[in-house]
Amino acid sequence: MADSAVDPNTVARRLIQRAHNSDGLPEIAAGLTCLCVSGLEYLLMAPRESIASTIAAVVFAFLLLLLGLGAPWAMKSLRKRYLIGRWGYVQYKPIGRKQIGIGITVAILMAGAVFGVVTGLLPVGGWLLGGTGLVGGALVAWCGRLLRFVIGGVVVAAAGLFLAFSGVSGPTGFAILFGFQGLMALVSGTVVFVRFIRRPIGTRES
Amino acid sequence: MNPKIQRLADVDRIIHEPSRLMVVALLAAVKEADFQYLLQSTGLTKGNLSVHLSKLEEAGYIAIEKTFRGKYPLTICRLTERGREVLDNYRKVMKAAL
Repeated sequence: MADSAVDPNTVARRLIQRAHNSDGLPEIAAGLTCLCVSGLEYLLMAPRESIASTIAAVVFAFLLLLLGLGAPWAMKSLRKRYLIGRWGYVQYKPIGRKQIGIGITVAILMAGAVFGVVTGLLPVGGWLLGGTGLVGGALVAWCGRLLRFVIGGVVVAAAGLFLAFSGVSGPTGFAILFGFQGLMALVSGTVVFVRFIRRPIGTRES
Repeated sequence: MNPKIQRLADVDRIIHEPSRLMVVALLAAVKEADFQYLLQSTGLTKGNLSVHLSKLEEAGYIAIEKTFRGKYPLTICRLTERGREVLDNYRKVMKAAL
């Protein structure tokens, strides 16, 4: 179709995305995940002399896995149990094979990249840091499709580029970048969630 | 005149209205949704959404079921087969014309 704005599929996708992000829970989950990645990155680059740091790294890795797999389920049950009066009820269609394929491919690529960085197979340079900031910022803006996500995406991309040119080491830069992105998402998500909760039931998003 | 553009005259008027198109497009993308979900995702007012849902139900494009989940009353809406056909036809006509 010449203009995607009149394509019902595009309209539906945008509306579903808007509803999905209306309570801030996806941002809170993404923020916690980024903070976990940041913590893990920080612990992995620290000298592994104490048992406490090894245990902390294992705990962070476990938390990361738990957040990645459990966050969608937790959001769904939270909305169904406590937010149904505000968020509403929706039953989505089963996820298609194409989407599952894309999800698995992205997960494999990300796991490969993390493995490469941690084992040193992938040389961590400024280009990787800047690239991660740019791709991460673009993803945030594209996935959210709301003004606050676009602003967040631009800030993350700028932070990535700033760190890339600031001369900090790769692992430190990644820990700072993910930590910054995580904090930003967590604060933004919490503000949206509080506003969502304080809104009288049955009113629309302003 | 191009016959494809002429077909625009036959476009379904009920679905062609922007608010109703939003609702139908949304319901086509999910299995079912309740009034509150439609309200917050479309950004329509309660009264407006209610009127549009009634018109779509009258036309047989959506089915509305009133139920409860715990203490919350739910007005669950889902697209009917007829509604899906009309939306597919609308998509084809608009695609051809634009």
